[in-house]
This record gives sequence, C-alpha cells and structure tokens, in this order.
Amino acid sequence: MNLPPQSSFIKVVKEASGILRAPQRVPRLLQKFVADGFRASFESRHLYSYTGTERESLKTLDSLIHWVADAQRPDGGIAAYYSLLSGYSASYPEVTGYLIPTLHDFAAATGSHSAAAMAARATRWLLALQMPAGAFPSGLQGSELRPSVFNTGQILQGLIRAHIETRRSEILSSAVSAGDWLLDVQQPDGSWSGAATYQNQPHSYYSMVAWSLAQLSEHTRSTQYGLAAEKNLDFVLAGIRPSGWVDGINLRGHPTYLHFIAYALQGALECAILRQRPDAIDRVAHSAWILLRKFETQKFLFGSYQKDFKPGSRSACLTGNAQMSCVWLRLFEITGDLRYLNAALKMNELLKQLVPLRGRSGIRGGVSGSYPIWGRYQPLRYISWGCKFLADSLLLEGRLMRSLESAAPENLPCAS
Amino acid sequence: MRIVILSSSVYSESACAVAAHLAESGYVPAAVLALSSLNRKTLRRKLGQWGWRKIAVYAASKTIPRLPEKPHVLNNPYLISLLKRQSGIFRSLAEVGDCYRFPVASSGSHNSRASLARLRAWAPDLLVFAGGDILRKPLLEIPRLGVLNLHLGLLPQIRGMSSPEWSLLTNVPVGVTLHFMDAGIDTGPILRKYEFPHAHQPESLLESLPESLPGSLNDLRDQLVAFGVRKLAEVVAALDHGTLSATPQSALNADTQFFVMHDRLRAHAAQRFAQRRRESSRYALAEIHHG
Repeated sequence: MNLPPQSSFIKVVKEASGILRAPQRVPRLLQKFVADGFRASFESRHLYSYTGTERESLKTLDSLIHWVADAQRPDGGIAAYYSLLSGYSASYPEVTGYLIPTLHDFAAATGSHSAAAMAARATRWLLALQMPAGAFPSGLQGSELRPSVFNTGQILQGLIRAHIETRRSEILSSAVSAGDWLLDVQQPDGSWSGAATYQNQPHSYYSMVAWSLAQLSEHTRSTQYGLAAEKNLDFVLAGIRPSGWVDGINLRGHPTYLHFIAYALQGALECAILRQRPDAIDRVAHSAWILLRKFETQKFLFGSYQKDFKPGSRSACLTGNAQMSCVWLRLFEITGDLRYLNAALKMNELLKQLVPLRGRSGIRGGVSGSYPIWGRYQPLRYISWGCKFLADSLLLEGRLMRSLESAAPENLPCAS
Repeated sequence: MRIVILSSSVYSESACAVAAHLAESGYVPAAVLALSSLNRKTLRRKLGQWGWRKIAVYAASKTIPRLPEKPHVLNNPYLISLLKRQSGIFRSLAEVGDCYRFPVASSGSHNSRASLARLRAWAPDLLVFAGGDILRKPLLEIPRLGVLNLHLGLLPQIRGMSSPEWSLLTNVPVGVTLHFMDAGIDTGPILRKYEFPHAHQPESLLESLPESLPGSLNDLRDQLVAFGVRKLAEVVAALDHGTLSATPQSALNADTQFFVMHDRLRAHAAQRFAQRRRESSRYALAEIHHG
C-alpha cells in the first residue's frame, strides 16, 4: 500500500479538520483510545501470549467482508481507510484491485453472491481508470493522475482474477495492456524505478508486481511476463542478507514497517512458487523463519524493524502480521512443515481478537493500522488492506485446516 | 557429589519428586533454589496457562491442611510413588527439605546476581534443572560437571516446547533425553535417551498405572516426566561413578526447534497418539542409547 507522500503538517490539519466537521466521531475515538489502552495495559497476555479466542474464523471473516462492503464507495471503488477523525477516504485503485481476488475467494468459500457482486462493481470501476498506456494511477481517486508501477501490479492481480471468474475479453485486454506497460518501464536489472515508482526509486517490495506478472504469464501462457517476473525476483533475492533481512525496501522518511517486509517476502514467495524456483523459495523461507522465531519466542512482532531485524516501533502493524500469517501458511502448504501452520494459527488467533464485531460502519469488522490504534503505522485508521490480508489469511487457514482435518492421521504432513 | 536442584516453584511436583527420589537413591541434594511462586512473572504465566480457577484449586491443594485419610490429588498421578512418605505425600520442596535436611531457598530469578552468589557458595558438582528460567551462561558455568536437564523428546530431532506432541505429529519416536544444558535451547551434550513405545525392553512403568485414567496426551506427558525422574537418579549415579560421559549432539541440516503447539494441532497429535495406543498392546520406555 503506497499512499502518496504528504507532509506531517498537512496530514494533521486534514485529519483534525475532519473531526471538526463531524464532532459525532469524538465519542468513538475516545472509546477506542480507552479500549486499546485498557487492553494494552491489563490484557497484554492475550495479545502477546498464545491464549486463544473462542471467536470462529468464519465469523471474523464475515465481519471483515462486511467492512469492505461498507467501504465500497458509490463509484465502485473501495476506500483506502476509515479514519476515526475524518471518516472514509476516497476510493483507492490499488486496494480495490487486489481486494478482487479476496472477494472472489470469499464468494467461493461461502457462496456469497454479494461478495461476487462487489468484485464485479470494483472491476468495472478499475477498467474505467486505466490510462491509455496501460498503467493505473497512483494515489486516491481524484488526487493525482501519475502512472504507478506498484498500483498497476496490484490491480493486475484483480484483473486476472476477474477474467478467470467472468471470461470477459475486455478484462483480459486490460490485464495484458497493464502487463505490457510494466514490461516497458522495467529496468535492465529487473527493478522498477523512476517517475512511476514511489519516491522515484527501486523497492524490493515491488516483488508484489513480479508476482502479478508471474500470474499473468500463467494465465496467458506468455513467457515474456514470466521472464520479467523472474528478473525482478532475482533483483529482490540479491538483496536478501544472510540474516534474512531484505535490503532495498527504501522508504525515505518512514520506518521499515513490517507491512513492507512482508510484501517483499510474499511477492517473492508467490513468484517463486509460480516460476518453480526452489532456490528462491528457500531464501524466502529463511527470512520467514527468522520472523517466525521472533514471533514464537517474543510472542509478538514489532511494527517495524531496522536492518537485520533489530527492533523498531513497539506498536504492532496488524496488516504486516496478517501478511506474515499468509506467508507462513503458504510455506506450510509447499513444505509440509507444520511449524509454519502452527505459527499462523496463533497469529490469526491474536488478530481475530482485535477485530471489533460491534460498532458503527467503518469500525465494525475493521482492522486498525496499528495496535494500539495510536501506533505509528496508519494511526487512528481502519485500513482496507488490513481487512484484505486478514481475510486472505483466514480463508487460507480454513482451506488448509479442512484438508488437514480430513486427512488420515498417518497421512499428515510432517515438519521437515 | 554435591547436587543442587533448580525448580520453577517450591510447590513443583516434579521438582519434589526429583529431590525425594535423589535423596532416596543416596544423593541427598545439597540445596534447592526455587523461583518464588508469588512473583508477578510466574503469576502472569500461570494465569495465561491455567486461568484463575485452576490457580485457586492448585494453591488450595498445596496450602490447606488435609485429613490424613483423605487422598491428595496430584497433577501428575504417575509421581505418586516418588512422593510418598510415611504420613501422606510431599506437597512442597520445603517438606522434602525438612525430611532429608537440606535448605530450600527462593529467588525471583535463577539468573539474578543474588542467585548466582548463592549457587557459587553452595559449590555444586551438578545442578539438576527441574524447571525455571532460561539459564544464562554465568549460571551454566557454576557447576563442576554441568546442568542436567530432562527433556521430553528425543534430541537432536525435537528441541524446544510441546515435544511429545511434536514427536507424534512429525513421526519422531516419543521419548525422553537426559542431557547437559548449554547456552542453546536443548542443544547440549546427551547423556541418555529413552524411546517410547519400545517393546523389547519393557519397563514396569505403566504396569502400576491406575486403569481408570484415560490415555490422553496429558497422560503421556505425565508418564514421560515420571519415567525421566526415575532415570535421572540412575544418570546421577553413573556420573558419580564416572561410568557415563556425554556425547555432543549431531548436527542436523534443519532447525529442529519447536514451539508451543496450537490447540488445533494438539488435537491432531492426540488423534495420532490414540491410534498408536490402539496399535500397541503394551507400552514401555526402553533405553536406546548410552552416551
């Protein structure tokens, strides 16, 4: 998630003016402050220990998708966030794009027609936004019209899935056009940099774009996208240190939030799986294992890390946690090592407890940027990409646990 | 041989059993250093593990005097023969210490300066770890021979937490390992390993079990602890006589550390255990390796 950079001053003024326009949000804000403060002070064992929750994954999943439904704007796009100060943001193309696979997965798992309809509306909106060159714009709807590599890559995931579901030719054309543009602007070393990238520089978490290209290659049986994806994969792998740390996340003026570390790992892992690159899977698994050990021994992942996984901000980045859960679940799926599944189950328990099942639209079913809510990553906001990754993780958990539970005991996978 | 026992609590059943069994085997401990039961850290951990109700029941069972004819309920029923004394059973290390005349001290942390000073003053040949903190290097360097630990899994394949459960799920034989501790998690040199089930060298362990107890995973864990405590005394004797030396663990390619198992996976481990029980008519622990 790359929201366009804004000075802290402008951000504060915008948010503060939001609460002046809608003072009815003050009680909700105070309520959340008190709730998180209370939980953090007196119930930290529930967050940081392995205490489970009685809440079913399906119930949480339902509420997450409900949040997304509430966040879908009349234009069909999905808001980036709900701020406790300023309410819903405008539609955000990037998140709208990569929520499409989540909505279809949810519809397939539960038979929900409304989720499929939401995905269809989101797809229609995105098709109308595509630039003539094939790129998609950066920023929130109406904020800028600069082409963005990352957003195009993320939206590409949604387009591919929408085509799989609908078989409509204009969606495929749009996906191919986006893929071609990504190839056009790719650097010889496999990275993306320049005006269409965040802060005009290459980022290792653009492995998410490589994953989309690998998907497009699979879907269209066209090797050029796959080769471009592998080129970026090699660029990312070259930045993975022996400590497991991924160099090149390159966020000027921000800490290296877990969200971006997890992006780099998730994109590289999925790309490696699709391109059948066991060497790359091993490298990503090494980094994922380092974070797994940290989670298991400290019972917590920091919201951000410094080089070589030195601790950064103490507040949790819930989205990053959900993404790591997705990575661990996928590693379990391909390696059979039950320790990945074990960590993901515990992580999901922890996250489920933090999703409010009651409250007003924008809060009910939301995933806050940080825990506690005043933490450094997306403070005082419930974010749509948090819902997306937690929903992905719960859907994957459900699928893997169902197959595990139906397996005869002698056929259970084993830890390596 | 001067032996000092480290315990997680003065009320730890397994530490009581270790102390009493060593004393009965002719190795009366020089002292015990237990973590204080009422410190904040322990209370928080136990609260998370057990909840208020079980803590209250446990505290009552350890502190409220009982009529002699009323049987004492143990958390681990397999330790009963090791905890028996003329009048009832040992309920705390203080009672074991009174009986065999050794001091029992408590501390907030085994690694604290005060604990280290106390341990150095006791000048142990051997420390026996019966629960407590992760031990740091300064403590590990105090005893002449080392710190002996009972691990509920076969090393080096299964290190860390929930070892019996992970053994079941990963198709590694269930067992116990007696080993010296080092700075890693269960990475120190091995003294003896015992596999379970293993029919060719039957032990009498399970023959004396109450038949009414269900064959649950908790049962398995309790059995392994009781068996390990018995074997611990044999290992101490062998070390004393100089007939046993430790073997460094062989290096494995993969990281074999395991972590606390989630309840849903634990259910699978229980399923697998039940299946094994059905397959085998007799369960016994047998020694498979002499270090």
